[in-house]
Amino acid sequence: MSAELSTATTSAAPTMKLTGIGKTFARVQAVKDISMEIRQGEVIGLIGENGAGKSTLLKILTGLHQPDTGVMEVNGKEVTFRRPQDATAAGIGVVHQEQALFTNLSVAENIAMNGSGVKDQGTRFGIFRWRILNQEAAETLARVHAKVDPRAIVGDLSFVDRQMVEIARALRVDEMVHASPLVILDEPTSVLERDETEVLEREIRDLKKIGSVIFVSHRLDEVLRICDRVVVMRAGEIVAERATADVTEDELFALMIGHNERAEVHSRDREGAKPAPILEVEGLRRDHAFHDVSFALVPGHILTIVGTNGSGRESVCRAIFGAEPYDGGVLRVGGEEVRSWSMSKAVRSGMAYVPSERRVEGMIGGMDAAENLTLVHPGAARSGPLLRKRARAKIAAEWFERLDVRPRDPALDLARFSGGNQQKVVMAKWLQSADLKILVLDHPLRGLDPGAAETVNRQIRAACDQGTAVLLLADTLEEALHMSDEILVMRDGEVTARFDLSVEAPTAIDLLGKMV
Amino acid sequence: MSPIKAGSSAGTTPAEAAPAATPSLAKRLRFDVKSAGELGAFVVLIVVFAILNPSTFLTAKNIQTILNQSAIPLIIAVGATLVILMGSIDLSVEGVMGAAGMTFVLMSANSRGGTGYGVVVALIVAVAVGMVLGLVSGLIHTRLRVPSFIVTLGVWYVGLGIATLLFGTEQIPFLTSDSLKAWPTSLTLGLPNSFWLAVLLVLAGAAVGRYTRLARWTYAIGNNEQIALGNGIPVARVKVINFVGAAGCSAFAGVLASIQIGAGSATVGVGSLFLTIAAVVIGGTALSGGKGGILRSALGVLLLTTLNNGLILSGVSPNIQSGVSGVVLIAAIIAAAWPYRGRLRVSK
Repeated sequence: MSAELSTATTSAAPTMKLTGIGKTFARVQAVKDISMEIRQGEVIGLIGENGAGKSTLLKILTGLHQPDTGVMEVNGKEVTFRRPQDATAAGIGVVHQEQALFTNLSVAENIAMNGSGVKDQGTRFGIFRWRILNQEAAETLARVHAKVDPRAIVGDLSFVDRQMVEIARALRVDEMVHASPLVILDEPTSVLERDETEVLEREIRDLKKIGSVIFVSHRLDEVLRICDRVVVMRAGEIVAERATADVTEDELFALMIGHNERAEVHSRDREGAKPAPILEVEGLRRDHAFHDVSFALVPGHILTIVGTNGSGRESVCRAIFGAEPYDGGVLRVGGEEVRSWSMSKAVRSGMAYVPSERRVEGMIGGMDAAENLTLVHPGAARSGPLLRKRARAKIAAEWFERLDVRPRDPALDLARFSGGNQQKVVMAKWLQSADLKILVLDHPLRGLDPGAAETVNRQIRAACDQGTAVLLLADTLEEALHMSDEILVMRDGEVTARFDLSVEAPTAIDLLGKMV
Repeated sequence: MSPIKAGSSAGTTPAEAAPAATPSLAKRLRFDVKSAGELGAFVVLIVVFAILNPSTFLTAKNIQTILNQSAIPLIIAVGATLVILMGSIDLSVEGVMGAAGMTFVLMSANSRGGTGYGVVVALIVAVAVGMVLGLVSGLIHTRLRVPSFIVTLGVWYVGLGIATLLFGTEQIPFLTSDSLKAWPTSLTLGLPNSFWLAVLLVLAGAAVGRYTRLARWTYAIGNNEQIALGNGIPVARVKVINFVGAAGCSAFAGVLASIQIGAGSATVGVGSLFLTIAAVVIGGTALSGGKGGILRSALGVLLLTTLNNGLILSGVSPNIQSGVSGVVLIAAIIAAAWPYRGRLRVSK
């Protein structure tokens, strides 16, 4: 794609230039051959679906990851960022998608907190000069028109105020370095109200006078309004680069998703009456996360919830599994309303949950794969309170064969398997239950290569064919369209649309339109 | 089946109306002692014991006793608080006290003969011995990534071993200087010298906690070590410094304890670990790190020493006493953790 769209403005070296940047995690190529230029005074929009590689690229730009290949240049000089401080010292400020503030410290301390040795008037010989520290923080906050007391403890602030603190802190890099700064904003607006977004837009325009901005957002109207140029990523690569003046929202949608035609609908035999729902959710609500969520899971059917980060769909899944409390609404399992719902009750009523954070929540590293596999439903591996090692090994061997887990050694510590193979074992742990009624899958394909993804998808369908009801949070819209019988779209904690795929076949664009 | 509620969600995001973010006066002044709960408990304790023991509890003599008894745990608590604020723990207190105390006695004029090297040199060497032990804990914890719980548990016994080795097979070394032995309990302005010493250290510690970048980094690490690393805070260095500082405090306390008993003993610190950690927690410093402060811990120490003193005066059997201390500790932890009992707390 042409990068010569706005060269007319300046002939100086670009603020940042990437050439052939690539990064691979455990055989999965997260980004490949990324080449782009960011010139001084430019605001670049970076868009792409979840999993398109935006986050990895940003982590490389901010020194959290090191690229395997390629060259980075800042102001015409080649740079290597070994640590986040290196990026800060080069004038790159960032607002992370997840807030990275110390909730126990004051606003001023958070703004001043950095160990990069950058000059800081508020500290002398390691001694805090609170008055100066607070004053400087107040000045920084005033730039974003944030009405936040620098002495307030961050943990006491509302989420939006915290976001303004994050933004103020990132903007501060221009006070620290004399070169023109590059500020990266990773979905800064997803939690902001309209007028706060306007403040941010104004601030970005101010920033253009001294430096450049990379703006990541799922809200394409904002991207078109704020940015000069849009870079579209898909499957780890830059697939398009457009000046915002000559592109429309619809065009960007299509570029993000890669095609425009109706997706093939997963067709299975749907004759006869729909069975009674196994799980009914009515008006489920959790304060500050989601509200008024209703749906029903039917045996043998797959229901998918799609939405961006912050849509609240993860929270819904966790509430249904009892991993998070809910504040209102009704949950009925097998027609009966549940009281004081908990994870152990969920498991006992035949529910299984495959979390997205499998390293943290889904598996026990240090225990071997066979032990993990038989942890919840030991089946024949248990007689009374005793575990039967030989039976366990046999069960594990069968599952390893069926799911093609590699290396085929169930006695190996699960932590030593690759991500995809770990996921297979975590799935098998639940799938081997004799009466699996409800399967809740939170991003089951995250980080899996296509082969492993297909194996996992086959197992999901097989469970479905045996009468399990599946609730799926898909990584991509293709995955959602490919697997589902019904799709729910969520935005900002509420359901904005639902599609019954036996009646109509929506496109990815239909879904996206309701997500953002 | 067409989309439901399409378009109805514009501008109805459930973010709470952001309140004017002006915190209360107490928060803005950032006193270490923020909540009145502990202070209230302390006052109630004093009133109850004063009523139960009208002629003995609130006498000058008894108050001097309480303050003298609180001196050693106060000094230890300064360092222990900094370590606990990072989310780590230092269990080596009693071992460090033993090693440092024994070093001090053997380097001072003692009954085994010799005039010693003078109090100042003996004190410096003793504290240095303690700090080396802290350095060992800190380095093993940060470099080899061994949990501080285990490292300091080991260093506790290493310290006891050093003290025992120094003790050797000879007779118990007694301090020969009577003026030195009398110094801690002598009164200045009506209060024991040991207490003044502790006050000095506590105030110094509180100033460090309030005004130094090191201590603010300590709070940051306790809040979220991952974010601290991402912000370029030298996490390992801060940790090592705090472990060295904590061991220095314990060593100082060990010297003071040895002066008070007037002899060298490897077990001079027995009981100090429980008392200080309990005091830090009761004062309101979270074991998970990030919350609390040195002044809070000082209040916790005074609370516990007053409780122990009051129980004895009220004729409670010493057999029950340690049980009561334990129950108070558990109750305080439950109270402190009450607002944070989320269901998935464990997984975070």
